[in-house]
Amino acid sequence: MFSLFLFELRVRTSAIIGWGLGLSAFAFIYLPFYPSAFDQFSKIDFDSIALYQALGNFDMTSFEGYFASTVLQFFAVLFAIFAVVNGTGTLAGEEDAGTLELIAAMPLSRWQVVLSKASAMIVATALILVISGFFVMAGVAFVGSQVEIEITPMDSIPAIWNSFPITICFLMINLFLGASLPNRRIASTIGTVVIIFSYFGTNLSGLIESLEPLGPLLPFYYYDSTAAVFTGGVDWGNVRILLIAALVFLVLAIIAFQRRNLTVGAWFWQRARPPA
Amino acid sequence: MTDIIIQTDGLTVYYGNHRGVVDLDLTVRSGEIFGFLGPNGAGKTTTQRVLLDIIRPSRGTAAVFGMDAQKQGVSIRQKVGYLPGELSLYPAMTGRRFLDMVGKVRGNKIDPVFRRTLCERLQLDASRKMREYSRGNKQKIGVVAAFMSRPDLLILDEPTTGLDPIVQAEVLDLVREAKNEGRTVFFSSHILSEAQDVCDRVGIIREGRLVRTESIEALTRQQFRKLKLTFSDTVPSFEFEGVTETRRDEQSVTLEIRNNLDAVLEQAGSEGATDIETFPVTLEEVFLTSYGNNKGARDV
Repeated sequence: MFSLFLFELRVRTSAIIGWGLGLSAFAFIYLPFYPSAFDQFSKIDFDSIALYQALGNFDMTSFEGYFASTVLQFFAVLFAIFAVVNGTGTLAGEEDAGTLELIAAMPLSRWQVVLSKASAMIVATALILVISGFFVMAGVAFVGSQVEIEITPMDSIPAIWNSFPITICFLMINLFLGASLPNRRIASTIGTVVIIFSYFGTNLSGLIESLEPLGPLLPFYYYDSTAAVFTGGVDWGNVRILLIAALVFLVLAIIAFQRRNLTVGAWFWQRARPPA
Repeated sequence: MTDIIIQTDGLTVYYGNHRGVVDLDLTVRSGEIFGFLGPNGAGKTTTQRVLLDIIRPSRGTAAVFGMDAQKQGVSIRQKVGYLPGELSLYPAMTGRRFLDMVGKVRGNKIDPVFRRTLCERLQLDASRKMREYSRGNKQKIGVVAAFMSRPDLLILDEPTTGLDPIVQAEVLDLVREAKNEGRTVFFSSHILSEAQDVCDRVGIIREGRLVRTESIEALTRQQFRKLKLTFSDTVPSFEFEGVTETRRDEQSVTLEIRNNLDAVLEQAGSEGATDIETFPVTLEEVFLTSYGNNKGARDV
C-alpha cells in the first residue's frame, strides 16, 4: 500500500510543482501591489458595494485585510478548483483513461487503493502549501520592507495553512463523486456546482436572513478569509468540522468504490440483475 | 495445488440491460494454456475482469485457485499476472518507474535479472517516458509487468496486439515457457492461428455464452474433414447430407465433409478421381463454423 502511495505521489509531481508555483505567482503578484495601491483602496467602502459582499469579505483598510481579501479569499477558490480537478481526476479520471484497470488488478484491496490515493492527494496539497507559503512569506517580507505593516512573514504561515482543511474537505467530496459516479465528466460537473453553491451560498447566507440556516451546511462557512486569522488565530472548531466532513466523504468514497463495477462506467448502486 | 485453477459456475454479468456473459461454466486446469475465443463484445474481457474482481457477477460464481474471486480477490491477484486488452499507462512516467511500482506492490518478489531478460527479449527500452512509446512498446511494458513476477496464473487479453511479428513470436515463446514451468495461462486472442499455435484447449464464447470447450486437436479433428478431389475429366457433383462444396474449378473440387465420407470416396472412385488431397482444418474454420459463418465472427 505504501508503494502505491509513493507512486501516486510521484504521479502528482508536476501538479504539485505547477499548482505550487501558480499559487505563488498569484500571491507574489498581489502582495507587492499593496504599497502602491493602499491609498486608493482605503478610500473605497467595499461594504457598501453589494457585489463585493456577495463575493466575500473585502477589507482593504490594513495589510492584513488586504492579504485576507486577496490571497486567502482566492487561495480557497483556487484550491477548490484544484480539488475538483484532482479529486475527480483520481478514480473517475483514471477509470476514463484506462489506468485504473492495472491498479485494480494488483494485489491490493479496494479500500487500500482509495486510501493510498487519498493520502497522496493530502500530502500533495500540503506540499503545494509549503511551496506557495514560502513565496507568500517572501511577498510579506517585501511589503514589510516598503511600508509599515502589523504582521511578520511568519504570521502568514497559519493564515495560509488555514486553507488546508477546506481543501481536504473539497478533495474528499470530489473523490467521493469520482468513486461513485460513472465518469469524470459527471463527477466534475457536480463537484463544480457544489463548490459554486457553497461559495455563494455561504456569502449570501450572511446577507439574506432567510438563507441564514443554509450557511452551516456549506464548507466555506467554516473557512475564515478575514484579517481575524492574524489576530484571533486558527479556529480549531472550524478545522475539526471540515476534517470530520472530509473523513465522512473519504469513508463514503471507500464504500462506493468497494461496491462498484470498475472500468465499465457504472453507478455505484448499479449491479444489474439478469432478466428473469 | 488444486488441479483446477479457474472455475466459473453459472457466471452471469449484466451491465444495466446489456449482456456481459450468461451462465458461463468454465474450467481451466493447472498447467494448461487455455484460449478464450470470441468476437468483440462476446464477453471475454468481462470474464477476465470478474476473475480479478474488477467486475462483480450479477449471478453465479467465479473461483481462482479454489478461492472465491469476490471474497479473496487480494490473495488471487497476488498469484496472477494480468495484461489488459486495452492497456493504458501513465504518460509522464518512465517504463522503469512503472515496473518498479508493480514490483513493489507485489512485495519485491521480482527477480531483477529475469525482468531485465524480459526487456531484452522484447527489445524494450524501459528508460523512456510512456508518452514517447509507440503502441507496441506500451504493450511490451504490459507484457513485462504481467510476466516478471512469474505468477502462477497469467491472464492475457490479446497479448500480441500492436507488436511486430518478431516480438509476437517472442511473447508466444514466453507463454509456452510459462506452461513448461507448470504455470497456467488464460489467453484470449483474435488471432486464431496464434491460439491454435500455443493453446492446449480453447473455449469459444458467443454472445456471452460458452458454445464449446475442447482441445485444439479434438476441435480440428472432430469438426469436419476437408478433401480436395482431382479428376481427369468432368468433376462430378457430390450431393450427400453433411457434404459441402467449398471450391470448384475445371478439374478439382474441395469438400467439407461432416457425414458420408464413405459415400464420397466411393463416388470419387467410381467417377475416376486421380488424386485425393486432405487438408488440416484450421481453428479459424472451426470458429467460423461455430459462429455459423455469420456476421458475429467478422470481428475476429
